[in-house]
Amino acid sequence: MKRTGLGIATVVVLLLVWEAVARAKQSLYLPPVSTVAVTFVHEWFSPQFVAEAVPSLVRMFIGYLVAALFGTVIGVLIGAYPPLYRVVDPLLQFLRAIPPTAIIPVAILLIGIGDGMKILVIAFGALWPILVNSADGARAVIRERLDTARVFGIGPVATLLTVTFPSALPGVFAGLRTGLSIAFIMIVVSEMIGSTNGLGYYILQAQRTFAIPEMYGGIVLLAILGYGLNAGFVAVERRVLAWHYGQSARA
Amino acid sequence: MNGSVDRLLDVARLQKRYSSGTLAIEDVSLDVGRGEFVSIVGPSGCGKTTLLKTICGLLRPTSGSVTLDGKLVTAPPPEMALVFQDYARSLFPWLTVAGNVAFPLKRKLAPAMRARAVDAALAAVGLADFAARYPWQLSGGMQQRVAIARAVAFAPEILLLDEPFASVDALTRADLEDLTLKLRADLGITMLLVTHDIDEAVYLSDRVFVLSPPPSVVVREVAIGLPKPREQERTRSDARFLGLRNEIHHMIGQPRPVN
Repeated sequence: MKRTGLGIATVVVLLLVWEAVARAKQSLYLPPVSTVAVTFVHEWFSPQFVAEAVPSLVRMFIGYLVAALFGTVIGVLIGAYPPLYRVVDPLLQFLRAIPPTAIIPVAILLIGIGDGMKILVIAFGALWPILVNSADGARAVIRERLDTARVFGIGPVATLLTVTFPSALPGVFAGLRTGLSIAFIMIVVSEMIGSTNGLGYYILQAQRTFAIPEMYGGIVLLAILGYGLNAGFVAVERRVLAWHYGQSARA
Repeated sequence: MNGSVDRLLDVARLQKRYSSGTLAIEDVSLDVGRGEFVSIVGPSGCGKTTLLKTICGLLRPTSGSVTLDGKLVTAPPPEMALVFQDYARSLFPWLTVAGNVAFPLKRKLAPAMRARAVDAALAAVGLADFAARYPWQLSGGMQQRVAIARAVAFAPEILLLDEPFASVDALTRADLEDLTLKLRADLGITMLLVTHDIDEAVYLSDRVFVLSPPPSVVVREVAIGLPKPREQERTRSDARFLGLRNEIHHMIGQPRPVN
């Protein structure tokens, strides 16, 4: 409670410093925070939210969902079969080392600058951390648990679903969390490169037309959305992995 | 030795060599009669767990055979269940106590039957009130009871126990030993226990097989003629109990027999 109070106080102080510095300097490039706030309310408590923010979020969710689905399924399968893991691990490490922004030119070349390109680069960026962490999670399944399933006559597919997959969940969620922040970065970058709407486009457009309070307002909106997404993610994770945290707390 | 009793499990000239080339089990033959309680004792690291895993079909023997009720064991048979030493590693932390016990029954029983089997198994180990808890919310001894309930719910002919009481304190250990004896008496399950604890083997068993240090061979088979029912204090202070445990202690210290 006390820490939360201090945290809020820190934000308030920083905002006041911003306000004071901006008023003192009278620079076009650094409008006072109060101006940004007024612009923010005007810009975003309006149909503009549907025009600019919603397309960004929709693209991001589709790309992220594709990455989550493929990353989890392929990752758990790879991790569940050690010989397969040893074969594909070097390739995975190589692919995940590519900064996802670098494939934007490739994606534009292959499928143009439409929504497909943005969804593709978001999915590509989020895929690797999800896949690699899911594989690591599945590899960490405890031998005795697999033996238990075999002794009780549980078949390989049922064992994969009811023993290996739950064992991999802490790893899966570690990957999903990293993947979410990468997806969030990729949506902004991809919209700055080729787009006619979306938050990335909006911020760049505001900067180019010297609509500086709007530019800052867009960044603030991104911060709020990112914070909300992460909070939502943590809430889901706490629920799904309650057993994992409960167990770790006892150990 | 045991010809008059109906033989349930027969292990004949079992040898197990790891793929690394290490010989874990050289030559082990033993048998378990229906309804019998048999223990295998040996020094730590003598391949007892390997032996048990081979007997239950998790590992393939290099040579020799395991026969259960006249059928050759090549994969874990449905008449057999296994309780591992480390309950924290064998129970599923994402399932409740009831969920863990129901786990082996998913394909065996219809839901209504399953719920009844789970309740009965939990009642048998004294955990009827803990069905909705998670294993990691319970003490070590209670967690091992969950593992035992899970094995019992599977309704096996024979229960293999791999040092099941090694990870709990002495009092809990005595409780679990007596619980095992009670389950055997009530449900008629045949028991095959692996342990390094000689007193425990003598206290629980009808017969004890003594293993050598690796590569394992059977040093001796000892019939435990102690009266039943066994009781911790009375049985353990019986002069015959002390005689048997000293005899086995002595054997374990001895060099391997020459064939």
